[in-house]
Amino acid sequence: MPCQEDILTALTQAVIKFREKDCKDAARKALDQGVDPMIAVNHGLMPGMKKVGILFDTNEYFVPEVMLSTDAFYAAFEILRPHIPKKRQESELSIVIGSIQGDIHDIGKNLVKIMFEAEGWEVHDLGRDVPLEQFVEKHLEVKSDVIAISAMMTTTMMGMKKVIALAKKESPECLVMVGGASVTREIADLFGADGYARSSGVAVAECRKMVKQYHTFKQKLK
Amino acid sequence: MSELTGKQRVQKLFKREPVDTMPCFSGQGAVVIQAIEKMETQFAKIHTDAWLMAESAITSARLFNMDGVVIPYDMAAVAEAMGRGISLYENAEGIIYPTVPNKWKDLDEIDIPKDYMNQGRLPMIDEAFKIIKEEAPDLAVGAWVLGPFTLAGQIMELDILLKGLKKKKDQTAKFLEQVTTVTIDMCKHYQDLGVDFINVREMGSGTDLLSPRMWKTLVGPNLKKVFDSITLVPSVNHICGSTDMIIEMMHECGASALSVDQKNNVVETRKKLGNDVLLFGNFDPYNTLAQLEDVTEVETIIKQCIDSGIDSVWPGCDIWPDIKPANMEAYVRTVREYGKKASPAVGRI
Repeated sequence: MPCQEDILTALTQAVIKFREKDCKDAARKALDQGVDPMIAVNHGLMPGMKKVGILFDTNEYFVPEVMLSTDAFYAAFEILRPHIPKKRQESELSIVIGSIQGDIHDIGKNLVKIMFEAEGWEVHDLGRDVPLEQFVEKHLEVKSDVIAISAMMTTTMMGMKKVIALAKKESPECLVMVGGASVTREIADLFGADGYARSSGVAVAECRKMVKQYHTFKQKLK
Repeated sequence: MSELTGKQRVQKLFKREPVDTMPCFSGQGAVVIQAIEKMETQFAKIHTDAWLMAESAITSARLFNMDGVVIPYDMAAVAEAMGRGISLYENAEGIIYPTVPNKWKDLDEIDIPKDYMNQGRLPMIDEAFKIIKEEAPDLAVGAWVLGPFTLAGQIMELDILLKGLKKKKDQTAKFLEQVTTVTIDMCKHYQDLGVDFINVREMGSGTDLLSPRMWKTLVGPNLKKVFDSITLVPSVNHICGSTDMIIEMMHECGASALSVDQKNNVVETRKKLGNDVLLFGNFDPYNTLAQLEDVTEVETIIKQCIDSGIDSVWPGCDIWPDIKPANMEAYVRTVREYGKKASPAVGRI
């Protein structure tokens, strides 16, 4: 009978090696063996995705590999999630995320989304080709901490500037992060974004840093 | 000797014959908002009307003294002709390029219609080429097509395609071969229309997305077939994003010239490929032409491109239409003046 450590390692390895079936089997085994599903997620699946983020950042993995790892993660996560008590699923931080209007590319956005989910954020995914005002409407509805906008193409990223301006007008406390293949830190600054992520692998860390800096700044003002 | 026309300058460049100065043209979209305003029309309308498309291209080139034009402006035309629909964003504020709303979601669903060349906006784009050739015989006329991999990502969901590269290798490879035939047919068609050059934009295949190994097996061979089919006019192999790791393989595909964006280390690329290869690029069009406040910074960027070993200064992507006129003028002026010195592959008269 495999011990908890073996099961967690199996989950981690199945995510890294993007073996969806192995990942599902390990998730079922975790439940059968009485492993706390929250521990299975936090100490089995999440380290796998973190490692995948590192492999992507160091050019050992490319987008297809990351997408397949993401599928493996979700396949196991969907088995474990119903067994996690609702209260324990509540997140401290929430984010509204989407690809900007005119951009039908959502791979990067989906990778970032899973990184946030893996880190326990409450994620509100608006999808792709999202009309500009919807970002702010959703943010106001769910009172998210952050709006994250993705643009793969130079020809669509201008919409980000308008969303940021609208967000700052309607909800001055809202933090906006941008990213995507066409976006650089200079452009993020130029558009007035609060944060920028150069890749999905660093998105959550950058976002946490942004939120922390904002709260530290607010504390100092008091 | 009288000054060369734009068309002559571009033609000579591709033949590696001496020119008076570096030609200033692009294989990516180069329509500007000033031309659209002068014509009293809207960005959303220039994609669906042959005259508006042709005239906006010519007016953009004339306003800023460019040597060539290139159409169409969006990458959705072939997918639309295959019945995948088109979103034109006619009621949206500002500049939004058309997109494809109904991509195929599974490899098994794909059914490329035989008569796609006569569908959607493709006949209208042909008409626009004819208008340009008649109205602007002094300008080089460029056509661009999507490379097989990027076109595949336009007609089916990109995530399914990318996963298919690993999970359904044979089926995906077969689909890419099928799409390669489409790209080849498009290239042959534009050759027959008498364009001056064809830019094959395999923009979704840089190493931001795919590994060099995957590029070698699934992108390179199909691109080679495409360039083998372009026999009557010069061709350009353009990939934006990260290309340092695949630049030698790009060269092996056999295009007349290579085009890269600002992520490429051109100095290193020159060392790898030598001075005989025509190399175009590699400035960031959005920052350089639409953002910079000081034209001396624009001049510096353009000079850096030339000094690093570029034979024609091309934007790394479509020019964002809402350019600052002073920046665009500085771009063209610097290419003309600083480009009087010979480039690695092309001498001067």
